[in-house]
Amino acid sequence: MSNPFDINGGACVAMVGKDCVAIACDLRLGMQSLTISNNFPKIFNYAPSTYLGLTGLATDVNTVSDLFRYKVNMYRLREERDIAPQTLANLVSSSLYEKRFGPYFVSPVIAGINPTTGKPFICGFDSIGCIDFAKDFIVSGTASDQLFGTCEGLWEPDLAPEDLFETISQALLSAVDRDALSGWGAQVYIIEKDKVTQRLLKGRQD
Amino acid sequence: MTSLMGNHSGTIGYSFSEPTSANVKQHSFYPYTDNGGSTLGITGADFAILAGDTRSTSGYNINSRMVPKVFKIGGDDETGEGANIILSVVGFAADGNALKEKLDTMVRMYKYQHGKSMSVGACAQRLSTILYEKRFFPYYVHAILAGLDEEGVGALYSYDPVGSYEREQCRAAGAASSLIMPFLDNQVNSKNQYIPGSGEGHALVPKKAEPLDKETATKLVKDAFTSAVERHIEVGDGLQLVIVTREGIEEVFHALKQD
Amino acid sequence: MDKLVAQYSRPPHQNEMYSEQEQQDLTASVPPLSLKFSLPPVDNRSAFLRAMTDDHSNPSCPIKLAHGTTTLAFRFQGGIIVCTDSRATAGNWIASQTVKKVIPVSRLSRGEDKKTNEPTPGLLGTMAGGAADCQYWLRYLSQQCTLHEIRHKRRITVAAASKILANLTYAYKGYGLSMGTMLAGMTPQEGPALYYIDSDGTRLPGNLFCVGSGQTFAYGVLDAEYKYELTEEEALNLGRRAILAAMHRDAYSGGFINLYHVKEEGWVHHGFDDMNPIFWDTKLQKGEFSNVTSAL
Repeated sequence: MSNPFDINGGACVAMVGKDCVAIACDLRLGMQSLTISNNFPKIFNYAPSTYLGLTGLATDVNTVSDLFRYKVNMYRLREERDIAPQTLANLVSSSLYEKRFGPYFVSPVIAGINPTTGKPFICGFDSIGCIDFAKDFIVSGTASDQLFGTCEGLWEPDLAPEDLFETISQALLSAVDRDALSGWGAQVYIIEKDKVTQRLLKGRQD
Repeated sequence: MTSLMGNHSGTIGYSFSEPTSANVKQHSFYPYTDNGGSTLGITGADFAILAGDTRSTSGYNINSRMVPKVFKIGGDDETGEGANIILSVVGFAADGNALKEKLDTMVRMYKYQHGKSMSVGACAQRLSTILYEKRFFPYYVHAILAGLDEEGVGALYSYDPVGSYEREQCRAAGAASSLIMPFLDNQVNSKNQYIPGSGEGHALVPKKAEPLDKETATKLVKDAFTSAVERHIEVGDGLQLVIVTREGIEEVFHALKQD
Repeated sequence: MDKLVAQYSRPPHQNEMYSEQEQQDLTASVPPLSLKFSLPPVDNRSAFLRAMTDDHSNPSCPIKLAHGTTTLAFRFQGGIIVCTDSRATAGNWIASQTVKKVIPVSRLSRGEDKKTNEPTPGLLGTMAGGAADCQYWLRYLSQQCTLHEIRHKRRITVAAASKILANLTYAYKGYGLSMGTMLAGMTPQEGPALYYIDSDGTRLPGNLFCVGSGQTFAYGVLDAEYKYELTEEEALNLGRRAILAAMHRDAYSGGFINLYHVKEEGWVHHGFDDMNPIFWDTKLQKGEFSNVTSAL
């Protein structure tokens, strides 16, 4: 069991609603079977409505999140505006491909609302930067199979923010309860235009 | 770990024994094929449902679009009439068929010799021993057995390949089990659901699971499979639904996506 | 001519019927716990079995068997406490959260459908390692214990029962069985007795054992609080608390807390309870588990 993607564990999911998006992750950090921490959020904020979720090897989650903080700060200084989720998606893609033959062991997920068009946007990546543009939901992490099942079963188009919160929470909690390496609580962001709500979920502690 | 069996085949170093170093390709003994597919069982107060898709694959190829995975046990040879127990097998279809044939024979022999049908509980234990007899050369199958128990309540038993078993409310097995099972936990056993307005924060009261009626369960089974078909390449083509009630066994087929 | 007629006038399928013996074998009312197992046609059977079923050495093995556990048992002045989790995992997949890892052994004590809270005479076995191995061989042990009871008109001692199991696992050493089990019981001859038996053939008597992937976490709690003079209440709580700690920290343990108490008259079941409400009570009421945030 030395697949770098499965050492620390973790899960992340993003969903589209009506004029809103949601992104959620679990809080576990482990070393194989041992749970080291239950306060390791995997979602990072880069602009008022642009969020990046990172699952995979914890050291790379830290490195990559810091790398993009640096790159996005440089972008903001040069352009004097906030980065749009679409722009971040292309930045993530090209940055990951730079490491084509020695990749970061992460599976990123982006969720946000475009500041100019006001349209919701989500996408996911593999570890070397291939973008998966989806209109419904994106999953990643050790519970991705489980998340595919719950999202496909629970999600429906044009959910209002409160309903989207309920849907993404149920999908994530039920999925991580069937995965040994993720869970131990969860964090959800509901992103609307000009408003972001962050909530902690009470999850099973086993 | 040391083997008691040892390795007696041609390891003695005679000078005229064949050279073994250069470019020797060793073929390992691999007697299994994964035929994909998924099965699912749900029980309620007076019924049990077993369902399976009808696709049979090997690797990326589709062998057939119509290979049923759910079987009637202990009924008439051709029609399956008179049976009151059903079995689903997923994994390696050849092992699955062998297992089904064996269990079917046992249950019918039991009926001839004892003059009564085998109870589902007894059949469940028997299936466990059949699987364990091949502990050292396992059947590559995940089996689910279903029927009505002595009180007429839906009974469902799920097995691992070597015969450990447990009675459950619902169970998914096979290729898409990891997609279906968490959905079932949420919808059948009401996991992670709370009663709205019952409190704030830690005071919220969890929702208790209530037995489903037949229509709701059937709907959930169809939902689960249409979802699985979207995201798993080994699942699709057709859905076989077999329902046991006091009236007997009812079998229906539905279409699933063929892509 | 008669001979020729006789030869060719037999019903054509006469020889295709099941023979008397085959019918007997197929229908024997006791399932053959016969130790006749089919074996793969290869030289090195344990290597074959490992390639097919051991997900630790071969993560992509085709047949994933249920593994992962925390079980514990300890003796104290009031008898023996037996406590387990209820999770079964296959790789990182949680196959089940409702496994009954305490198995009543011996004839009259299949406590499954018992409604009353009366003590049930008999032994208790715990299950760690391969789920099927434990279920099957503890059932086999039940059979042997029952036969002993019939032959000798008294219940088998825990020492004797554990030896049957240990001899068995020793005979199958190298075949790839995987089990770590504890046998607990109380007999007039021995008083409270506890044995650990595993698939290597080990058999150890002792006061306190923890078995499974979460054993170290359980030992941590037990060693800090355990003493032989514990009251019944304290002992039950300690067993529960040790399993709770293991469920929290070990990814492959979790689900429900299954608690038993073995007394002089027999064993008593003290519940199969979801760990989650118990965990949050322990945290919010007693202030333990301060590593977990309770902000929502």
